[in-house]
Amino acid sequence: MINKFLGFKPDEKLLPHKTVTADTEIDLSSHKYQKIWLGPNHPGVTGNMAVELTVQGNTIMRAKTHVGYLHRGFEKLIERRLFVQGFPTSIRMCVAEPDTNEYFIARATEELSGYADAVPDYANWLRMLSLEMARLQGLLRGVPGQGGTFALGIGVQWGVYLRDLILDRFEELTGARVYHMYIIAGGVRGNLPAGFKARMEDNLRDIDDFIIKIKKLMFDNSVFKTRAKGLAVITPDMVDKFGIVGTNARCCGVKRDVRKDNPYLFYEKLDFDPPTATDGDVYSRTWIRWQELIQTVDLIRQIMAKMPEKGDIRCQMPNVLNWKIPKGETYVRLESGRGEMGMYYVTDGSDKPRRINLRGPSYNHAISVLEHMLIGVDVADVHAIMVSLQTCPPEIER
Amino acid sequence: MKELIEKLNSKYDLQEIVYQRDNLAFTAIRKENAIDAITYLRDYEEFTHLVMMSCVDWIEDGKFQLLYLLNSPEKKCDIGIKVYIDRENPEMFSAHHLWKSVWTYQRELKEFYGIDFPGSPRVNDDFVVEGWEEIPFMRRDFDTHEYAEKTYFPRGNRKTNDPAEYMRKKLYPNQPVTAKQRKDDK
Amino acid sequence: MSFNLKDILTPFTAWANVVKDPVTIKDPFTREAAPRYRGFHANDVQVCIGCGSCEAICENQAIDLVPIEGVEGIETKDGDSGLRPSVDYGRCCWCALCVDICTTDSLRLTNAYTWVDTDADNFIFTPGVDKKEWDDKQEGWRKPQDGYEFYGKERVHMEEMHSPERIDPKDSFVEFIKGYSKEQAQQEADRCVSCGICTATCPAHMGIPEYIKAIRNDDMEEGMRVLYETNPLPEICGRICTHKCEDVCSVGFKDGSDALSIRWLKRYIADQIPADTNQYKDMLGTGDIAKNDKKIAFIGSGPASLSAAYYLALLGYNCTIFEKLPEAGGMMRYGIPSYRLPYDQINKDVDYIVSLGVEMKYNVNIGTDITLEQLNTDFDAVYAGTGLHLGRSTRIPGSEHANVYQSVDLLRDIVTGAEVPVEKKVVVIGGGNVAMDITRSMARLQMEKYGEVNVIATSLEDEEHMPADREEVVEAREENCEINPGYGPQEVVLKDGKVVGLKVWKCLSIFDETGAFNPKYDESDERIFEGDMVIESIGQGMDLSYLSEEIKTKIEFGPRGRIVVNEDWQAKGLPWLFIGGDIIEGPDVIHGIANGHRGAMAIDQFLNQGR
Ligand SMILES: Cc1cc2nc3c(=O)[nH]c(=O)nc-3n(C[C@H](O)[C@H](O)[C@H](O)COP(=O)(O)OP(=O)(O)OC[C@H]3O[C@@H](n4cnc5c(N)ncnc54)[C@H](O)[C@@H]3O)c2cc1C
Ligand code: SF4
Ligand code: SF4
Repeated sequence: MINKFLGFKPDEKLLPHKTVTADTEIDLSSHKYQKIWLGPNHPGVTGNMAVELTVQGNTIMRAKTHVGYLHRGFEKLIERRLFVQGFPTSIRMCVAEPDTNEYFIARATEELSGYADAVPDYANWLRMLSLEMARLQGLLRGVPGQGGTFALGIGVQWGVYLRDLILDRFEELTGARVYHMYIIAGGVRGNLPAGFKARMEDNLRDIDDFIIKIKKLMFDNSVFKTRAKGLAVITPDMVDKFGIVGTNARCCGVKRDVRKDNPYLFYEKLDFDPPTATDGDVYSRTWIRWQELIQTVDLIRQIMAKMPEKGDIRCQMPNVLNWKIPKGETYVRLESGRGEMGMYYVTDGSDKPRRINLRGPSYNHAISVLEHMLIGVDVADVHAIMVSLQTCPPEIER
Repeated sequence: MKELIEKLNSKYDLQEIVYQRDNLAFTAIRKENAIDAITYLRDYEEFTHLVMMSCVDWIEDGKFQLLYLLNSPEKKCDIGIKVYIDRENPEMFSAHHLWKSVWTYQRELKEFYGIDFPGSPRVNDDFVVEGWEEIPFMRRDFDTHEYAEKTYFPRGNRKTNDPAEYMRKKLYPNQPVTAKQRKDDK
Repeated sequence: MSFNLKDILTPFTAWANVVKDPVTIKDPFTREAAPRYRGFHANDVQVCIGCGSCEAICENQAIDLVPIEGVEGIETKDGDSGLRPSVDYGRCCWCALCVDICTTDSLRLTNAYTWVDTDADNFIFTPGVDKKEWDDKQEGWRKPQDGYEFYGKERVHMEEMHSPERIDPKDSFVEFIKGYSKEQAQQEADRCVSCGICTATCPAHMGIPEYIKAIRNDDMEEGMRVLYETNPLPEICGRICTHKCEDVCSVGFKDGSDALSIRWLKRYIADQIPADTNQYKDMLGTGDIAKNDKKIAFIGSGPASLSAAYYLALLGYNCTIFEKLPEAGGMMRYGIPSYRLPYDQINKDVDYIVSLGVEMKYNVNIGTDITLEQLNTDFDAVYAGTGLHLGRSTRIPGSEHANVYQSVDLLRDIVTGAEVPVEKKVVVIGGGNVAMDITRSMARLQMEKYGEVNVIATSLEDEEHMPADREEVVEAREENCEINPGYGPQEVVLKDGKVVGLKVWKCLSIFDETGAFNPKYDESDERIFEGDMVIESIGQGMDLSYLSEEIKTKIEFGPRGRIVVNEDWQAKGLPWLFIGGDIIEGPDVIHGIANGHRGAMAIDQFLNQGR
């Protein structure tokens, strides 16, 4: 870290050669290297994952991601459950934005059983609302969280408070704060409570304030700038090579956003343009997430303004206990706060799915990308890089 | 989409084609052609984004079905390339040279299904379960319930009743009506 | 590195928060959750019927159905298993799917969410039975309204002929219920939650959820196997069963929710199999049954005898049915009109039973042609299912007139082809299903003869209390019959020796304070229903004349002249004589089938005692 302040750059040639897997030939018996474990229980690490680091001095020579601490075989468990029973389990595969998985299961089963067009409009608007609310609460934690990795804790406190206000809204809309279990095959499980929009608008105004405050706290902050700028650069050529998606791709100018590329729900009726940046470093990633925060607040306002006042929340589907879906397969995707999420869903004609497979952005971001990017980095920057890549282990382990 | 699949068909003699949506098709390709076709799609048809690799266990047919889901950010559509491989000694050509994410998928498939990808880096490293001694757990014949029962400690403080059976015991106890009930009652 | 002074100073704006009020909730323990919050379970156990749908949908296997002892109002009875759901909070994830599917809306989640206990086992509890402080809390998750249904609420409509077509003189006794198509049947079968509450209420305890499942799986052979386990007359029952099961169906529990159409689904299965006894045998695995040397005689060929004979034939017994009428079926053929139950459907069921080697001897009247004693000598056991075939008379003045008839006699004549008197104007006394049958049959005959309907049916009970099924009354009216309930018959009015009508008084009440039959009338409200003939249809009695005086001294008679039997339907005092059907229970077909089945098992046991 001190090197950076002094403007010192290590000689790239001295670093071990990078292979496909970012694996390197390291002779531990040479006593030049040391192994340290970061995680699985470490406040700076994103969730329960561990990074096994081989360091020389402060510089990382090799990094290996270890996951498995959260593994319950959720995909396997869902294979043994009726179609309607899958969604409460699925949300455990993504703590940060569980609503996405509810949507996948609902959408895939609707598509494969021929009910895709039967879902009432009102329900689809509510789905979109809950998905954007999920993005918002994620960003409220994630944007200041990036400051947190550089010891700027105060913003996190503000963000977590505001996130709790959004969770209050979730609570009144869905009946739960974190695991909402709201989107169900055929529609959603509740209409908009009376007075919801006004209370939401109050919260959004608080968030507007927060957005300005956090800008002053983080982005007009020389420490943050110095640490984040130029750190862990993603270049456009890496994007497809590593399967990088979402803000991690947009930070280097590659404009990928499922809401625009393969529009779903009513996103075509909303007016927005996904922010991009060019530098590809931690700073630009955080910066476009901050812009996305502004955009998400705006999207929620647009949704509340454009959605119908009332309507059916669910279409009539087959009896959930007897529901069978013909043999088939599909892939459904959406843009989560961390980028393209998706689910491969296979049915075999029985009353249970044959296979479900979640495609989480972290699968690549937290393994191949992270392992690649950590090489040559100062140990003190690992958390910052992990948070900036939004690594999230449950969607890897499933 | 259709055009592209036709083209692919003439080149690789596709085994099955399903147009799931306007922007999504699934097709099965013979094992020996698959990597070639995927490379072709990546390099000549703008399918530059590998969305995911996956596997489905069709145990009744003795097959594993691999899936390479390719996305074209230009064309904004997806093709799922399916490859059926034998369930006995399952093995597939490695594609780790095509995308930097592939080795992780292949490592996962090795652990979850026991499918080998010779030459794939770190393919034998533990992925999510360390020290696993059972058959690969995502295979259909691995029974999670049975595993949980034998590995953990059921508290044994639960018992349920089937309404129809319970009512029979209560309301007409000595009148079995089906052969099965007569046997059960004896 | 260039440092910008602004970038050093701006972050200090965060100090402004020092003077702001804290946002932390001071007392987190009393924070009220949202009105829709999914907290702890509460169950209105007086409403819950223990159907177990909550258990079936719980993806975490958190629910068990447990017997409840000692709580007033909860007992195992028709339509209530007497079980209630208990929840294991070691497994529950508070998804509330159990609430959303609850067939009675008794289950809900309150918005209570704190519960501290030191004993982990306490977290398995039975909501509503184990009292909790949140039981009366009204806020919390309930099943969403607005068309949010986990199973179809409405019954799939049954196609039927409409009235002018129904009574068209060209083919007026044509079956008018058309039956479900495959698609309709599967859609209807889809609504079933497979709770099995209905099974106990069905007198024959049929495996209803299993055969409905066979429809969903489109496996008709499996469906037939399930049906024949407990009921060898599926075509018949699928048309005219009194379907007590539908009254307790949990899917029909809520207002605005229809019970499953169990009867029509049964008919659907049977209708899919062609009338080919060989196919039946293949399907049911009854191709070669090893015969034994025991012989059993049956008096009467109604459903009770047919059912008993079927199950005994399966066990290898030699069965012989003696029937005084020319064809088999008893009241099913000679009572129930063919527009509800066509003869070919009776034949279809009966032919299969006959094909198993059951011998039919028609036009043999036991008691006159062959004595009961003789049967006892020739056979190892005798089964009597002789039914109720004697019409009851009102015994009002004029009722002995030749143009006053008994409904059962006329219905029988219609079937045998004997000449049936059809007058221009007919009055029927009676408000039950039999009365509706004769009313509607007469309407059809009038259409054939006169081209118009002119029948009046009247009953003591008023519109709301008429014992006939509602649909029967509605359909009768659709067929231009006049149903005029709430009047008591006083006299058959005669003029010049001819019947001209029926004098009635408004009926005020039927039973007195002690509950005895003692109708009260408003004599000022007198009416004359005009008619050239009167048909009495106020119930049937049994004809036990085949019991000789000697036998009568050996057995016992109970209330209403019924033969006293033990629980195996064995006549008290005559172990070789078994009784079944209407003369013991019912009266309806399914009771006959049920007690026939039980009788068969009892006979088997009786004849096997020596072995
Ligand atoms: C008009 C009418 C409509 C009905 N509608 C329905 C309905 O919709 N649904 C329903 O479930 N039930 C209905 N029932 C009732 C149902 O038909 C009877 O409950 C059922 O048939 C009784 O069966 P069982 O075996 O006791 O005798 P029965 O069916 O009455 O048969 C008895 C048989 O024994 C014969 N027999 C009697 N004595 C002798 C003898 N001494 N020697 C030889 N043979 C003899 C008789 O000829 C007769 O064939 C109806 C009844 C009537 C009259
Ligand atoms: S679903 Fe409802 S009625 Fe049925 S057992 Fe459960 S709580 Fe009771
Ligand atoms: S709330 Fe969900 S997990 Fe809990 S008992 Fe009901 S169905 Fe089971």
